[in-house]
Amino acid sequence: MALENFLAETDRCSQCSYCKWIPFDHIKSWRFAKNCPSVTYNNFNSYSARGRYAVTRSLLKGQSGYTDTVEHIVFSCMACGSCDVSCKVCRYNLEPLDMVRELKFKMVEDGHGIEAHKKMISVLVKEHNTMMQPKSKRGEWADNLDVPRVSSEKFEVLFHAGCRFSYDKVLQNSARSAVTMLKNAGVNIGIMGEREMCCGGRAYSMGYRDELDRLAKSNINACSKAGIRTIVASCADCYHAFKRLYPQFGSQVEVLHTTEFIHRLIKEEKLKFRTGMPITVTYHDPCHLGRQGEPYVPWQGVEKKIKKQIIVYEPRRPRYNGAWGVYDQPREILKAIPGVQLVEMQRIREYSWCCGAGGGVREAYPEYSNWTAVERIEEAKSTGAEAIISACPWCERNFMDAVSGMGDSMKVYDIIDLARKAV
Amino acid sequence: MTFNKDIYRALEDIVGSANISDDPAVLDSYIYSLAHTAIHIGPFYNTFTPQGAAVLMPGNTEEVQAIVKLCNKYKIKYKASSTFWSAQGYPSEDNTIQLDMRRMDRILEIDEKNMFAVIEPGVIAATLQAEAMQVGLNTHIPGSGCSCSVLASATSYLGSGPGNLYGGWYYENLLGVEWVIPTGEIFKTGSLGSGCGWFCGEGPGPSMKGVFRGFLGAKGSMGVFTKCAIKLFAWPGPKSLPVKGIVPAYRTTLPDNFKAYTVAFPSWKAWADAAYSIWDAGIGYLAHRQFNMFGRDLKYAMVKILTDPTKTLGDLEEILEDPEVQKVTEESKRDFQIILVGMTKRDIEWQEKAFDEILNKTGGWKVEAMNDPDVHDWALLYLLRLGHKNLNLVFGGGYDGAFGFLLPADYGASHAEEAGEFKKEWEKRGAMVEAGGDCMMGPIGGQGGGGTCLWENFTCFDSHDKESTEGTLEFFDACTKLSKEKGWVGAGMEKWNSAARGSDGRTTPKEERDRIHRSAPQPSVYRYQRKIKEVFNPNDCGDEYFETLDD
Repeated sequence: MALENFLAETDRCSQCSYCKWIPFDHIKSWRFAKNCPSVTYNNFNSYSARGRYAVTRSLLKGQSGYTDTVEHIVFSCMACGSCDVSCKVCRYNLEPLDMVRELKFKMVEDGHGIEAHKKMISVLVKEHNTMMQPKSKRGEWADNLDVPRVSSEKFEVLFHAGCRFSYDKVLQNSARSAVTMLKNAGVNIGIMGEREMCCGGRAYSMGYRDELDRLAKSNINACSKAGIRTIVASCADCYHAFKRLYPQFGSQVEVLHTTEFIHRLIKEEKLKFRTGMPITVTYHDPCHLGRQGEPYVPWQGVEKKIKKQIIVYEPRRPRYNGAWGVYDQPREILKAIPGVQLVEMQRIREYSWCCGAGGGVREAYPEYSNWTAVERIEEAKSTGAEAIISACPWCERNFMDAVSGMGDSMKVYDIIDLARKAV
Repeated sequence: MTFNKDIYRALEDIVGSANISDDPAVLDSYIYSLAHTAIHIGPFYNTFTPQGAAVLMPGNTEEVQAIVKLCNKYKIKYKASSTFWSAQGYPSEDNTIQLDMRRMDRILEIDEKNMFAVIEPGVIAATLQAEAMQVGLNTHIPGSGCSCSVLASATSYLGSGPGNLYGGWYYENLLGVEWVIPTGEIFKTGSLGSGCGWFCGEGPGPSMKGVFRGFLGAKGSMGVFTKCAIKLFAWPGPKSLPVKGIVPAYRTTLPDNFKAYTVAFPSWKAWADAAYSIWDAGIGYLAHRQFNMFGRDLKYAMVKILTDPTKTLGDLEEILEDPEVQKVTEESKRDFQIILVGMTKRDIEWQEKAFDEILNKTGGWKVEAMNDPDVHDWALLYLLRLGHKNLNLVFGGGYDGAFGFLLPADYGASHAEEAGEFKKEWEKRGAMVEAGGDCMMGPIGGQGGGGTCLWENFTCFDSHDKESTEGTLEFFDACTKLSKEKGWVGAGMEKWNSAARGSDGRTTPKEERDRIHRSAPQPSVYRYQRKIKEVFNPNDCGDEYFETLDD
């Protein structure tokens, strides 16, 4: 796709502002009714999907250039996809998330990426990670962990740790727990260790399409050589990259998030929770596991009209609107742990509020990123929960930083942490 | 930016640098295409409202007041808008300051005992309803849907919707108002003006509704409304709507005192008789001919799509081939939706009995396919929350209404078939969606308690397609011509707002405005409004949506 392909959508977006709210049917209060961190924080219409359609139209028609304001409008988008869900409650022929991604690609390809991202990308090119760390240290998270590495043994199931788990020393115990649990359940699992490379998903959401291309091809090649049939990821961003983006490059491996795998093991009675944990928790749906976690469906086709002016697609185009993301498995895992009481926030599942770490916003605009996380912590607190649970290290890191800044007592856990303690 | 830097700085001092912008990229998102839903002037292909000089987001009444005073000092036009649902909320002329009222979005009070809420401009109907339900109350929601500003609907436009029947439209629900008049002074109206609180719009204290609204609302051209109280009414349901289902097929299951029906009739006369009987009996919580907006031939197939998350518009043709769908489509030609809500068990039993008697008397029937539990619960949620109103634009991104009027049920019904047949012929030409001609929709009870219906024949087109947009415009002109030839009361809805904004998206030239106003049935209305404007808006800092005519 190219940005030009979205010109029709810029005319067909009716500027209704549904993209600023969670689906209206689900609104339960004034306080937690908004969905888009970008427009909620910056307020001007330009910072919503409808505004970004307007910016796209202006750029395509040569009415505006690449000003600092345009850059800020475009790169303030977390690419969380909440606008996409709300838009598609009523519309079948608009793709706001794809549009804003394409807008980022165009900006980057025309040399208008932002400095914070450029620095990260330059390290990513050399060191294959988004954490500004040397690649030689990538496998250290698994030191002393009894798990085969790709160079030494053959295995069918690959645990991909991802950049955040690989280098964030506070969080990486969750990755170790995931591997241990799966291994103890009899899964023939291994890791890439220091050979693991970034999935490219975060670079993609910042506008660096070529980086995804390069990393996807390398990772697909590495998996193919190693005979990998299944990839398991504990990071929602990695999961999304492998599940939704890699098939476009020919990947055919099965992709599971750790929560899906553990849920499967529970159903097959290969995993049982025995230890009680008396705690009230709330669950945060990561954007890339939930609304963006739908399976990829290949499609190539064209727009056509039926009934004279109804826009449809030939052949039938897959519809990604968050309906089929991974929502139930994490909840069922939590409910299966004795003593855990799950209380829900008001914005959940496909209309969940973003953690604030997505789209390169954490790297470029830390204050705004933190504000977004604080909003979520406030929502979690309103449920009476003692802990906020997620299934993505980027969410967890942003929440931990926010809680620390707030001086709050809310605990932040990866779902694996709870599951591991309960086994 | 065409005004000087000193003025910009003065405005910046009022709202703070984070809440003002004259950056073209920001201003780009404050123009509106007249090819979407221009609200009865177009559509016009590739035509936009003019870009403002700056956009400001005031945070409180004092800031609004300071902005308005500054605008008066420098004779700068300003236009306030809250939720920007259509072209009406955007500037009509260059160098206008756009006020985006988004930051003033607080629900200041819900007075449970006296059943009203005090709100700021940015409060939308969905959030007010959600908060009101917490205390056993509900709000009316305008036909444009729950995404729209309650205050704007009540103070500045019609605010009509499906809930008119029981709750009255927003204009009728407007109580005390805090109004920054066009010169910048604060005017508190109704009981608020005499220091008695918000509870009444008409007094004790100055009754100003007619003055600041004028004919059909001033639409942001007569100062800025910064707070208002809005009447709430009884909600005998749960504190929040229990919503289930997979997006977008959300639905709610409510207790037995809630019933949603689609009913149909053997003739338009029977349809109108049923409406009169409903009003006479005083039953019903809301009533609307809603799903017919998709068109007589498409409505049930669209219900099938919207209640099944695996379906898309791409399935429409196949669904239309289904004999069962064809049967339901045929039996629900002359239909409407109604929700009965009982305040007690006896109440709902009585309403059901009365409603059945009305159907029996008029020969009407309940469309059984719409009583399927999932469809019933979907329709119930749809109508109570009105959170899917942007389905108006589902087909191609553009729609507007034709053949509209606010008139007694039998009068409207007598035109519906002929208007539908006329549209059906035009649909064959290809510019608009071929939907079966009759796309008439609107409230059964155009105002509080009933007595009238509000009709609009929805016409959907592709706003990206020049031929589709221009063909639709041609059709609307033909609608006006036909209505005039037939002598239909209310003719000309297609161009209602063309006295204020022209085909270039800008203020209609004075000669044309005067011509339109002079030919109106009651031109004196506009002469009175001119006198009001001279007093309240001497520096002419608004646009022409507050319509005037010289002597």
